[in-house]
Formats: sequence, structure tokens, C-alpha cells
Amino acid sequence: MKDRNPLSDSAVAMAQKQLHILQDSTPGITSAVLLSSDGFEIATLENDKGKASRLAAMGSSLAAISSAIAKEAGISECSRMIVESEEGVVAVMKVPNSSPPLALAVVANDASKLGQLIWGAKNCCAALSESLKAAS
Amino acid sequence: MTSNEFKILFTGPMGAGKTTAITQLSDQVCVSTDVVNTDLEQCNKEMTTAGLDYGYISLPDGSGVRLYGTPGQERFQFMWPILANNAAGVILLLNGEHPDMEAHLDLYTNAFSNNGETPLVIGIGRISSDDFARIDRVTEKLAAKHLFVPVISVDVRECEDVLLLVETLLCQIEANEMELMQV
Repeated sequence: MKDRNPLSDSAVAMAQKQLHILQDSTPGITSAVLLSSDGFEIATLENDKGKASRLAAMGSSLAAISSAIAKEAGISECSRMIVESEEGVVAVMKVPNSSPPLALAVVANDASKLGQLIWGAKNCCAALSESLKAAS
Repeated sequence: MTSNEFKILFTGPMGAGKTTAITQLSDQVCVSTDVVNTDLEQCNKEMTTAGLDYGYISLPDGSGVRLYGTPGQERFQFMWPILANNAAGVILLLNGEHPDMEAHLDLYTNAFSNNGETPLVIGIGRISSDDFARIDRVTEKLAAKHLFVPVISVDVRECEDVLLLVETLLCQIEANEMELMQV
């Protein structure tokens, strides 16, 4: 995790707790990173720090490219992006009303169900949004 | 990509002016993936590119140039080969005011010059246009790496300066092609 995290230590601890709640309540989640829109990890379930950093950077690029294509297609603001394969899913979702803008990247294996994953991640983003607002 | 259309890539560190350069040149509305920059220590600017920049120049003969820009930060390095794929040439922009400019020169030439095979032009911003000593030093550093490429002082806010970079690169690309034909 970078030294100068844009969030306070208590906000990071709260975010970390939300990620654990998500993992405990949703089957198949193997990794999750809360990231700033410019690609820094804020909190993560990932033990491998290098992997967390890369996931944060890639998640922010995908979120930025998704926003650009949504704008191009005239469908306003992109709120989430799903990458699906036979073996699993990566979902990147924006945390509503966060400042600085944050997103959540979740990786799940084939034990996950897409609807359940999206529902869990969406709830996690809403909870993050609420708790970060309260902390600021 | 049609045959009379080609792709050039702008790269360089954060804050060197890649997005500005592409915006200056493009005849179409550019695709931008700007996001809020939280790394003010590295570069004090409000927004930064997280995905890519894209613009397009139509040429009078009906052909066109696709302009792509990379994110500058090293953490976005995974985007570099994706964007460099099929590029006819690369414009490397450097920030002449940055204390690590020479390290940036090394990093980006290693990543993009393909050992001198990819046509390359270097634009150095934020130095006075008669700072020949700085340009000489960059040229010497490049020569030590057996890279002989044009190095130009530019202000990316000036369309003419960016155009000069593109024209120089087009000459490099053409010279390269002729060399290949002779071989």
C-alpha cells in the first residue's frame, strides 16, 4: 500500500472491514481491492502487495476506459464493468459519491454466481460510500 | 486499420503533456480517460490519464494518422505494449524541468525504442528553446545507447510545435521504410 494513502487510517480500516464482510458473505471471492480512480490501492484482501498494486492499476484503467466508451455510446456514466471467463469473473464498480473517486475491483472463481457477486459488490460499495462519508 | 492509415504513439512520464499534444492535433473530439490525480507529489495537476488517449488527424490525401497516448505512470506499464502494438513510430515527451528527466529518458527509450528499430522522436518540454546544452546531453545519452534520434525542444501547448514532432517522426518512418527496401 502506498505511504500517502488519500484516506485516513481509520477510513482504511473501515474499508478493509467492508471488504472482509463482502468476502465472508459472497461465495467464490478470491481477491478484492478498493482503489483510487488513478490506480492506487486503498485497501485490499490480497496478501500479495505486488498483485494488489497491479489489480488496482488495471482496475482503474478499465474503469476509465469503460467510462470513455459509455460516454462515446451516449449511455452516460458507466457504473460497473464485468470481465467474464469460464473460470471466473472480475467486476470493477465505482463507489458512489466518493472523494477522491474510488472503485472496487473484485475477483471471483467459478464457485461464484454472477448475480450474487454483483449484488454483494454493490452492497459493499454502498456501505463503503456511507462509512467513508461518515468518516470524513 | 486500412493501409493508408497509420498509428503513432505518444508516451513519456506523467505531466510531460501527452494528452495536451494529442488534443492540440486531433481534428476529432479526443477520447480521454482522465481521472482525478491523487499523486500530487509526483505531479501537481488535477487530472491524469488512466487508460489511453486517442485522437485522429485526417491528411489532405485521404489518409489519416491515429494518435494514441499512454498513461505516464509506471504502474500503468501493462498498457504500454497494448498501445505500442502496430505503432509506426513513437513520440517520447519529457519534462525538462523534472529532476529525473534522464532516468525517464532511459525508462521510456528502453520500453519503446525496440533497440532502435521503432522510429522515435523526442520532444523536451519546459526548457528554454535555446537550452542547447540540455539537448546535447540528451543526444549524448542516446548515442551511448546507440540510439540516433531527433531531439527537439517543444511547447506542447503550441500546435506548431506538436506538428513539428509528428512531421519529424513521419520523416523518420519514411527513412526507415526506404532503408528496409534497400536491404
